[in-house]
Parts: sequence; C-alpha cells; structure tokens
Amino acid sequence: MTAKATSARAPRLALVVHSDVGVLSSFQSALTEKGFVTIVARDLPTALLAMTQHYFELAVVSSRLGEGGDGWPLAGVLHLVFPRAFVAVVSPDEPDVLALQSAINYGAREVFELSRPAAEVVGSIVAQLEIVENRSTSKSNVH
Amino acid sequence: MPRKRLLLLVDDETSILQTLQMVFENEGYQVLTAQSCAEALNLLHNGQKFDAVITDLNMEREDIGLEVARAAQRVKPRPAIVIYTGFASVPNSRAALDMGVDYMAHKPVEISELISALNRLISKRAVERSR
Repeated sequence: MTAKATSARAPRLALVVHSDVGVLSSFQSALTEKGFVTIVARDLPTALLAMTQHYFELAVVSSRLGEGGDGWPLAGVLHLVFPRAFVAVVSPDEPDVLALQSAINYGAREVFELSRPAAEVVGSIVAQLEIVENRSTSKSNVH
Repeated sequence: MPRKRLLLLVDDETSILQTLQMVFENEGYQVLTAQSCAEALNLLHNGQKFDAVITDLNMEREDIGLEVARAAQRVKPRPAIVIYTGFASVPNSRAALDMGVDYMAHKPVEISELISALNRLISKRAVERSR
C-alpha cells in the first residue's frame, strides 16, 4: 500500500431512512453527487442494523416511517450515537411548532418539508456542514 | 465529594421561579435564579460554570429568552440550554432550533419530563467532554 493510499480520507457516509423507494433514490443521487456514500433503509430495523455497521456523518430520516411521528425517536437515537453527525428530518408537511419542537428535543439539526427537491435539501445540509467544518478548522489553526 | 450540578433558572414570575428552584434543589441541583434577561446575562458573564440554563421565553419582552440562550451558548463549557414557553410560534421555535437550543418545553410544563430531559442532557455533555 502506498503512502498516498494510507492517507486517503475515509468515505463520507450518509444514512437515508424513508419508506418510499422513490424518495430514497432521489436522496441517494443527490448525496452521491456531493461525494457521500449512502446507505438507505426503508424501516426502523434496517436503519438500526446500518447504525451498528457504519459511522455516519449525515442522516436524513422521515418523520413518518410506519406511523406518524415514529421517525423522531430514530433521529434522537442517531444524534446520541453519532453526536457530530448532521441529523435532518423530512416531514410530509411544512414544519409547524410541534415539528420544530420535536427537532429541538430529539437533537435534529434541521427539518425539511418533503416536497422540497432532494438536491436542494442535500445542498442546504452540505452547506451547513461546511460552515461547521470551516469553523473547527479555523479554531484549530489559532495558536 | 462531587460538586453539585449548577443550574441557572430564569423567569420573571417569582412563584414559578420559587417552585422550580425547590423542585431542582430536591433533585440535588445547586440553583441560582434570575428574574430578568439582564440579571441572567450578569450571572452568565461572571465566570460561574453552569451545567444548565432553563429560561422562560417571554419576560421583559417577547422572545427575550432567546437572548439568554444566545449568551449561554457563548459560555465555555457550554451549559445545556432549555427554554419553556406558553407562546411558541414557528418563528421563535425556528430561532431556537437554528441557535442549537437543547430542549424546548411548552407550558404547562410537565415537571418530571423537564427533570428527565435535564438529567439526560447534562449526562450526555459530561460523557462528550470526557471523550
């Protein structure tokens, strides 16, 4: 193995959890475009299994997996297991007070309406991740 | 002997402040109180290491609790930040989310839920700091 190969950065991993294959597919494409390796899950057990096998930097979870609101606790678990990950939730409606309260209390960083194009949602998440990364880089450069 | 967890409670209603102070002291917290945003900012800037800050949202004026939250965020180490309100709206909830508030409770606040959330947030922070 060459020195160059050993210093290569590990792939950035994203998890997308949604019951609709079409939604999974559009998020996967958008995330691949931004350089993420994406694992998709259609239900809670598959998502939990993926969490035991990968270290995620980003997760997009539907607020509704089996029934209304059951995606929020999964977002909360993702936040606890991967505290530095950007956890976003997509909700079928425009985020109201209760959705925003859930986002805060379950540790999600953002909540998006599902009708927004996946590329736009991913673009917004990646932009926020870059801000955080730049902030920590500039902090580590201060002597 | 481990130090008691230090909590800052902020509310302009004396009766609520006294009730919450009693509740959290019974839970083993050391509690400091402030009856306005200005008083809270003074306490936050005087070097005390708070484990958590719990603030009402509307006091001297609407949404001023967000200013307490903003000031608490700049304190190192950053305390857990909890806001409670009877006047949640999309703009103030959005602002709290964007700011990174850790917990938001709507009035009437379920005390057991608040205690449980606070204990969880403080333990989580302690684990993260020790990593």
